[in-house]
Amino acid sequence: MQKFKRALLPVWVFVPIDVKRLFRDKVAIFFVFVFPLIFLLIFGSIFSGDNNVSFRLALFNNSDSEIAQSLQAEMEQSEFFNIDEEVTNEEQAREKMSRGQLDATVVLPEDFGHVSDGSAIPSGDIQILYDQSNETSGQTLASVLDSIMQEINAEFVQVEKPFRVTSESTATEGLSQFDYTFSGILGFTLLSLGIFGPTTVFPRLKQRGVMRRYKVTSLKIWQFFTGNVLSNAFIGLISLVLMFTAAVLMFDLNMRGSYINLSIIVILGTILMFGIGLAVGGWAKNENQAAPIAQLITLPMMFLSGVFFPVFLMPELLQNITRFIPLTPIIDSIRLVITENASLIDLGPELGIIIGWTIVVYFIAFKIFSWE
Amino acid sequence: MGKAIIKVKDLTKSYGESTVVKSINFEVEKGEIFGILGPNGAGKTTTLEMLETMRDIDGGSAKLDGLDIASEQDKVKALIGVQPQSPSFEEKTKLHEIIDFLASCYGERVNAKELLDSVQLSEKINEYPENLSGGQRQRFSIATALVHGPKVFFLDEPTTGLDPQARRNLWDLIEQVRDKGITVVMTTHYMDEAELLCDRVAIMDEGEIIALDTPKKLIKDLLNRGFKKKQHVEQANLEDVFIDLTGKALRE
Repeated sequence: MQKFKRALLPVWVFVPIDVKRLFRDKVAIFFVFVFPLIFLLIFGSIFSGDNNVSFRLALFNNSDSEIAQSLQAEMEQSEFFNIDEEVTNEEQAREKMSRGQLDATVVLPEDFGHVSDGSAIPSGDIQILYDQSNETSGQTLASVLDSIMQEINAEFVQVEKPFRVTSESTATEGLSQFDYTFSGILGFTLLSLGIFGPTTVFPRLKQRGVMRRYKVTSLKIWQFFTGNVLSNAFIGLISLVLMFTAAVLMFDLNMRGSYINLSIIVILGTILMFGIGLAVGGWAKNENQAAPIAQLITLPMMFLSGVFFPVFLMPELLQNITRFIPLTPIIDSIRLVITENASLIDLGPELGIIIGWTIVVYFIAFKIFSWE
Repeated sequence: MGKAIIKVKDLTKSYGESTVVKSINFEVEKGEIFGILGPNGAGKTTTLEMLETMRDIDGGSAKLDGLDIASEQDKVKALIGVQPQSPSFEEKTKLHEIIDFLASCYGERVNAKELLDSVQLSEKINEYPENLSGGQRQRFSIATALVHGPKVFFLDEPTTGLDPQARRNLWDLIEQVRDKGITVVMTTHYMDEAELLCDRVAIMDEGEIIALDTPKKLIKDLLNRGFKKKQHVEQANLEDVFIDLTGKALRE
């Protein structure tokens, strides 16, 4: 027991020093805490907001009819249309469209909404102009305006509509796109904290001969690893708390699961990702060796593990491979805890893959580690 | 002189085709300052690093306090303190934290203030090592190498790049270490340093020891061989002038 306590002494002494060291370094604070928050802010604002598509339009109303006036007023008030008031003629509108500053131009011709000869009810054609490069927007706008016109038509001509299309979102009640995206952002943070940290710090310490000094002491590799793993797991947890707070306050994150389960997954995830960084940084003699290998490992994980786009969009073969990439089960289990209140037992398969990888990664890290 | 604490027999190190240490033999007595001299590439540092357990021993054997350095590395590590050529520490780490951690590596807790006091750095206890001067860093490095009270202290070119005052101060410090009963093994380029500080020196060239004795004896042997210095020896040199004007006391 006494011997065991003595063996753990370097670990207990190292962890608080290593954590304090991080908080004294402004650059490190930026990369560990601020950078993930910025990332969260950017991706959060892209993926929050519920489908608020809007069209940037130029509107030319050449008609003095009542219908034309009320249509214009309605379009100006609608959040759906963003009407550019600065555009005064078609020339300007064309130029802005070609530069991508406008999605389309809507023209209400002079006779729009007037009662034409030999007819009892008003009529008219709305013209939509769009740039060739922006065909999708133009066509979407056409069908949107068309459906508005259908409503107006119904006022004048009573028709029975036997067939209709109704649409309804199947997403679980109360969940936003952001609730799904957040687990990807957290996964990305764990990945960058775990891998970019040790792959830059350790080779730098080696080049400066700091690690060499540890080699001549009685310090064992496992003691050095344990100390680093614990301090990084602690820092990972702080980062998680910050991101969670930001996500709840700014993006109304809907947390359905247990915070304890989430913390356990984040700690296991940090340990696994840090193990990969430790293997690369512990092996490399200098930063030039470590950097490309770190990129080679992180890039596929970033793109294949569902950080940026959902795994189910990938071809089936790739999906099967993706399931076994270390980051995927981490992101999946974070997502399942947040959105479905999954228990640790539900997450058995994911945790199994995480723990399996952890054993493999640390075994390799231990074998290829060098102090110089 | 007491009994030998380091015994080196036919020690050899090769890198590929070239043999950088060629079957050397020597003993270091307990409690002495032992110098290894020689030009660059003579094999001084390699020899030192094999004794420090930093390099594998390719041939022959080396024993430290009766322990085989090649096979009993862990036990040897607990008995030695090492001062590397250019000491470097983790940044943003206070001096007392570095000492606490290095002591813990040996499973020990020490009084950092007392240890820093012994190298005149106690007022820097809350400083970061990157804010120390060259001489202060060397002294701090010596303190960190002695946290666990080793029996043998290895220094690799400890005074390279220091100003004359800092060099002299370091010599005093190394003598103090020796006076505590710690055996000192050091390499150096500087003959004045070796002559003043070392009880015995080994001169290496091209991986071999070509002379080993006390500095006095080596000089006497040379004179006995009929050697005469070509120039008239000055009673003082420029360094003496510099020290006289600026004082021996340490400048920070």
